[in-house]
Amino acid sequence: MIRNYRLLVMFLLLLLFQHTNVKGQEKKLMYGKTPNKIFPYNNFQKAYKYFFLESVPFLGAGREKLPPKGLKEVRIGFLGPLEGSDLVSLGKQMLNGANLAIKEANDKGGYKGIPFKLMVHNDVGLWGAAANEVVKMNDEKDWVWLGSINDVVSHVALRATLKMEMMMVNTGDPDPTFTETNIPWLIRVISDDRQSSYALASYIYEKMGHKRIAVIRTNSRYGRVGIMEYMNVAVRLGHPVMIEERFDDGDTDFKMQLDNIKRIAPDGILIWGNAKESALILNQIRKLGMIQPVYASDRVVSPEFIKIAGKNAEGIVSTSPYNPNANNSKLKSFQKNYFKNFGEAPDVFAAHAYDGMSLIIKAIQKVGLNRVLIRDILMDLKTFQGYQGVTGKIILDQSGNDIGDIFMSKLENGKFKFSPVPKF
Amino acid sequence: MKKTDIIKQTKLTAMIIVVFIIGTLSYNLSAQNKKPNQNKMPIYGHWKNFTSNDGLPSNKTYCVRIDGKRVLVGTNKGLAVYENGKWKTYTIKDGLAHNGVLAIDVSKLTGDVWLGTMGGLTRWSAGKFENFTQLNSGMPNNLIYAVICDAKDVWVATGGGAGKYDTYTKQWEIFTQQNAPMHEPWTYGVCEGDGKIFIAAWGGGVVEYTKKTKKFRDYTDPDGKMEIDLFPDDGLVHDITTGTSWANGYLWVATYFGLSRYDGVHWKGYFDHDSGLTSNFINYVRAVGSIAYLCTDKGLSTTDGKNWVNYTTNNSSKNGKATIIVGTKKTELAMIPSISHNFVLGVDVSNHTIWLATSRGVSRGELLK
Repeated sequence: MIRNYRLLVMFLLLLLFQHTNVKGQEKKLMYGKTPNKIFPYNNFQKAYKYFFLESVPFLGAGREKLPPKGLKEVRIGFLGPLEGSDLVSLGKQMLNGANLAIKEANDKGGYKGIPFKLMVHNDVGLWGAAANEVVKMNDEKDWVWLGSINDVVSHVALRATLKMEMMMVNTGDPDPTFTETNIPWLIRVISDDRQSSYALASYIYEKMGHKRIAVIRTNSRYGRVGIMEYMNVAVRLGHPVMIEERFDDGDTDFKMQLDNIKRIAPDGILIWGNAKESALILNQIRKLGMIQPVYASDRVVSPEFIKIAGKNAEGIVSTSPYNPNANNSKLKSFQKNYFKNFGEAPDVFAAHAYDGMSLIIKAIQKVGLNRVLIRDILMDLKTFQGYQGVTGKIILDQSGNDIGDIFMSKLENGKFKFSPVPKF
Repeated sequence: MKKTDIIKQTKLTAMIIVVFIIGTLSYNLSAQNKKPNQNKMPIYGHWKNFTSNDGLPSNKTYCVRIDGKRVLVGTNKGLAVYENGKWKTYTIKDGLAHNGVLAIDVSKLTGDVWLGTMGGLTRWSAGKFENFTQLNSGMPNNLIYAVICDAKDVWVATGGGAGKYDTYTKQWEIFTQQNAPMHEPWTYGVCEGDGKIFIAAWGGGVVEYTKKTKKFRDYTDPDGKMEIDLFPDDGLVHDITTGTSWANGYLWVATYFGLSRYDGVHWKGYFDHDSGLTSNFINYVRAVGSIAYLCTDKGLSTTDGKNWVNYTTNNSSKNGKATIIVGTKKTELAMIPSISHNFVLGVDVSNHTIWLATSRGVSRGELLK
């Protein structure tokens, strides 16, 4: 009888599936260098549709448009936090990096003897303001533009850049969702927080063997979206985060949040925020007598963090989108020239802006002054794929996102030391 | 095995077979009932294309709206108006907020034309232009992606939130993540229908506003993941939405990942691999009656939810075709000339005419059947 009921169930299932017109994709390919075991729902259910497996082409007109005659300068837009933002110090480094690439190109004759000119725009991190700046870039006839760091600014600007049909090269926004929009007018020449999260999760759970992690993160979008992938991976690895505490940028007292974390007695603490607040939190963790290992998002890899955290910074582990100590002749030359021009060492935003601007210049020199052709060559995943920049090899995926190597960074004897990320 | 057991087993097997036959018959009958009616789908042809050679200020057009006997076209070099067989252009010199005109709607109440531009909102009334910007009126953002007129109210979708302008009180009401269920205030489409306003919120799916109660609710992709759509027909195909349009009891939602339709109870998803949709990259959607007109990067798709008619061109020539898909049957109709360009950004239809805004001018088609 049981066998017959099974037969009945089988037939009913057969009937049921006759009625559903399910035509899921046959092939499944992973996206974002995501290992099988931490791909969303992968252990339970094959998805009906996988996105970002193929580049989205731009199929509009415009390639036939001839360059204007009598140009006096080749304008390239720049959008960065230069005034009225918590990220001004990062924005200025980004501007310096972009300017250095422009200067070097102009020293070699610019574009067919016409100098490149950076058209600088300030982003203040306000909702919507970036859209107006992109319109200004369009009105001033920029050919392509570079920016920004703040993810709010970048997202708003991205939709505007699609309407203007003007290529955007981002070198500072680590928001994973930024390139997950299918807009074919963007590449990001810096790794994102998806890659940072994978590296940190692998290090924390698999290399260090921790199971109970507490998170304290900024309440900004950088913190909310940045920590998202880490939290997801933690769950998929079977170690959901024990507590997630939040703070506002500019806060200086974190006792309430840290008391909550202390009560839980986690194996380790992960801080996700800007350099200043992260350093203050670390100091207060130690002041409370908490001796757990501390991990942090990559904004701690900065002189500001080391200066504020002092000796407490010793041993902190983070990630870095590149290795500033790499044995790379291009990098060493860049570091030397940067110091000569600006009197300070370049940071991560300066180095990536230099690489991003170098790609823009090379693209213009290859295809000329046509926005669509500049877009085409920057996004073709051939011409510049594997480009050896000062930050290392740039590898873009089908969404235009940089999935090249990133590094673990650990502060030892007052200096960050960089090493390959552990694999899952 | 006992004889009684054998009888029981035989009866059960017979029952299974009967259930199977009934099920199969009912499926076939229901499939026949659902069989699309080709006559319901309008087919347009006799295309006439207009470019800068014909008087348009630019070939780069963003939107089109039929307004009685005239046609309004938004371009990157101003507003073009087609009337009595001639084009006339209006720019910032005439009073527009910006030459980039991204969206147009006409008030049924007053006949005023509302223009969403890259530099503010412009009202064209009685031959005069009046501009609304962030600075002079408290509008959410100057870059306006969509505008609609809803009786005395004018709604805009911007990257800084959605806005409602009451033309009687002359007051703006702004909707962002602070007072509406949006993940972010980035809005790119807005439509009205069934006593509601439907806002396409980038990353936040669709935000529904019920006018009577002034209450919001949102619709998002249930799997919550950007890189996949876990189940078909379980909700929006993606949270990155680009446009909404409501007609005939259906809400149609455009994304760069596919199309969604909502009947108030069930969601239905459409992708290029499982339906007649010509491309998943949908710039704009407009629903009129039972038909949704989908402006994609690979041509114009039209559908009633089951049948499809797609209009494409061979971009290197003036020829193209209409592909008619009824169930699994696909037929092609040559179109000489065809639509101007496959990258379609805007559409409007009236009784017997369709107008398209494309990446290379505008196209006008006539209803064939």
